[in-house]
Amino acid sequence: MYILRNALRSILQSKGRNILIGIIVLVIALSSCVALSIRQAAEHARENSMENLEVTAQITVNRQAMMSGQQDKESMKQAMANMEGLSIDDMKQYADNSHVKGFYYTASTSFNAGDGLEAVDTTGTADSESEDSSDKETPGQGMEGVGMPGDTVQSGQQEQKKDMGGRMGVQGDFTVTGYSSDEAMISFINGTSSIIDGSMFAENDVEMNCVVSEELAAYNQLSVGDTITLANPNNEEETYQFTISGIYKDETSSDSAGSMMSAFSAAFDSANQIYTSYANLQDVVARSEESAAVTTDGTTGVESTTALRSQENGTYTFASVDEYQVFKEETEAELGDYYTVTSADVSSYEQSLQPLENLSRYAGYFLVIILGIGGVILIVMNLFNIRERKYEIGVLAAIGMKKWKIAVQFILELLCVTFAAIIIGAGAGTAVSVPVTNQLLAQQIESTQQSRQQQTDNFGRGAGGTPEMGGTPEAGDTPDAGQSDYISQISSATDITVVLQLIGIGIILTIISGCAAVISILRYEPLRILSNRE
Amino acid sequence: MSVLKLEHVSYRYAGTDKTILNDLNYTFEKGRVYSIVGRSGAGKTTLLSLLSGLAAPTDGKIYLEDKDINKIDKYEYRSKYVGVIFQSFNLLPKLTAMENVILSMDIAGKEYGDKKAHAMELLKKVSLGEEEASRRILKLSGGQQQRVAIARALSYNPEILLADEPTGNLDGETQAEIVKIFRQLAHEEGKCIILVTHSPEVAEASDIVYCL
Repeated sequence: MYILRNALRSILQSKGRNILIGIIVLVIALSSCVALSIRQAAEHARENSMENLEVTAQITVNRQAMMSGQQDKESMKQAMANMEGLSIDDMKQYADNSHVKGFYYTASTSFNAGDGLEAVDTTGTADSESEDSSDKETPGQGMEGVGMPGDTVQSGQQEQKKDMGGRMGVQGDFTVTGYSSDEAMISFINGTSSIIDGSMFAENDVEMNCVVSEELAAYNQLSVGDTITLANPNNEEETYQFTISGIYKDETSSDSAGSMMSAFSAAFDSANQIYTSYANLQDVVARSEESAAVTTDGTTGVESTTALRSQENGTYTFASVDEYQVFKEETEAELGDYYTVTSADVSSYEQSLQPLENLSRYAGYFLVIILGIGGVILIVMNLFNIRERKYEIGVLAAIGMKKWKIAVQFILELLCVTFAAIIIGAGAGTAVSVPVTNQLLAQQIESTQQSRQQQTDNFGRGAGGTPEMGGTPEAGDTPDAGQSDYISQISSATDITVVLQLIGIGIILTIISGCAAVISILRYEPLRILSNRE
Repeated sequence: MSVLKLEHVSYRYAGTDKTILNDLNYTFEKGRVYSIVGRSGAGKTTLLSLLSGLAAPTDGKIYLEDKDINKIDKYEYRSKYVGVIFQSFNLLPKLTAMENVILSMDIAGKEYGDKKAHAMELLKKVSLGEEEASRRILKLSGGQQQRVAIARALSYNPEILLADEPTGNLDGETQAEIVKIFRQLAHEEGKCIILVTHSPEVAEASDIVYCL
């Protein structure tokens, strides 16, 4: 007890020296607090968001695996031709997996304009061109379909479409997409599309209701309640009527999702996307199949049909990344090598964390440097301190105080000063860590965006190319690719973990710098110290 | 009965052949005042260092009663059995007189009840009042510091008191007072007082004189 009392008395008696040590520790504590807070914020952002992240995934054909098992191009082509994507019924079976939270699906079919309807077209390919193409193309080849603009499932869908080599028949001027549920209409959920007139069709609508784009409505002077006629591109006589229940505005249409592809075909233009329920579209496809004419090519023996073809996609939702990982593992094991379960959400989110993670990494380096330099300064200061107090050590030892007790007293003095400085440093660090982190984060985001912008300016696309160009779709690629939704703000950074880490740093610094003091004290002989003084 | 006994004690500085003390055989008893005298460089202070455990003899043994002091923890020996009054006092300058005495009690680890009262009692015994007791060491005169050093040495009631030139810095009157205190401690309280001195007056006032 008297050792602590002595230590406290000594601190008060040597204010100047202890204030100097305190200031150094305060600077170390403040810097460390900010650095640790940045790291903690990054960790929290990752954990919290991963916990709250609703993951979506698709089962797609693993084309790479399929190609790697083939010897030559012909066998690859044959393998791909034979390979079929899973049907919605197959996908539904996997949706029964206990780790799956939800399952929704879509179907897309290409149509031509019927009586009185004209596609919004900047390509000059609408209608007549489509008809021409129908003459040239064999059903089963051609348009790969376009999903909902702003829909993040898009990349998965396109992947699958590419895999299957086009199953929607001859390309028309419109793409009609049928949705199994509201949940599937992601662009309306995330706000990139919104109903501006009328209402959305019911989830399982069978009344042939649909919603059309604002541009298409304006172009054809359509309004809610009007009926539009769409024709089978393979058979212009085969028509279907839809009633417009609502008109939607697509916020991304001005920067033209799929703008590059819309230059080739009106069907890719976002204005020509018509949405209805899956039930309606399935009914149309079923009716088309019933009335279809099937012919066989005399030369090649290839069978073709005039029936409408649809491209179907299923999306599974998961409550957490862990659930997704388990599902992926189980399902891939069951499906074999030629299918894979993919999710853009996880990698997309990881990308959004990139600036914060970068900042966290730099903060780690900064922390190491601060601790290194701070530790050395403290060791040197302590050595000077011990030399200055050599006489005191000699006297204490001469009157019977054991050396280890003297060392404990010195370490206690250092601990008290260090802790006081750490408490002040943690307080100040807590106050400044959030604005400092946000400021640094803003700079980091700006730097990352500049880098991406540079790439876009130079190449006209983001890293790896855009999906439209056949490049690998980047995780998180949205129609406005290159504008990643980075985490740009943190609301709190310093927590009990940071404080505990700071205390740990304080203890480690004290022990390291105290060790120098202890070694010096143990080396001193009281007789020599006192004799020299005398 | 001897409380401290030197048997064939010699001392050489490390790394040299120069023998400072050679084959000393002294006995010190309780209740007496001893003076160790000799010319400068004769080894008086070195002998005191050996007796206080601050240094160890190169040959021979020193016994505390029947125990070889080499086998006793040196810090315990200095904080319980012997009180040392250094030539330059070796008081902690940032502490008050009272705090210096109390610190010594704390280090000895003995229970005194009210330490402050006990310390004040000791300081009064060496003719220091409350006003001096609350002063920092550097604010006290040489004589007062000497008294504080004696009070500190007495603080844990050791059987043996070792003093190096205890009157070296003092005027004649103060020197007489200090010697009187030592004699009282020996003759009234039964302590063994060993003084290293140049002063013939101090040596004369001692019961036994050893000459180096």
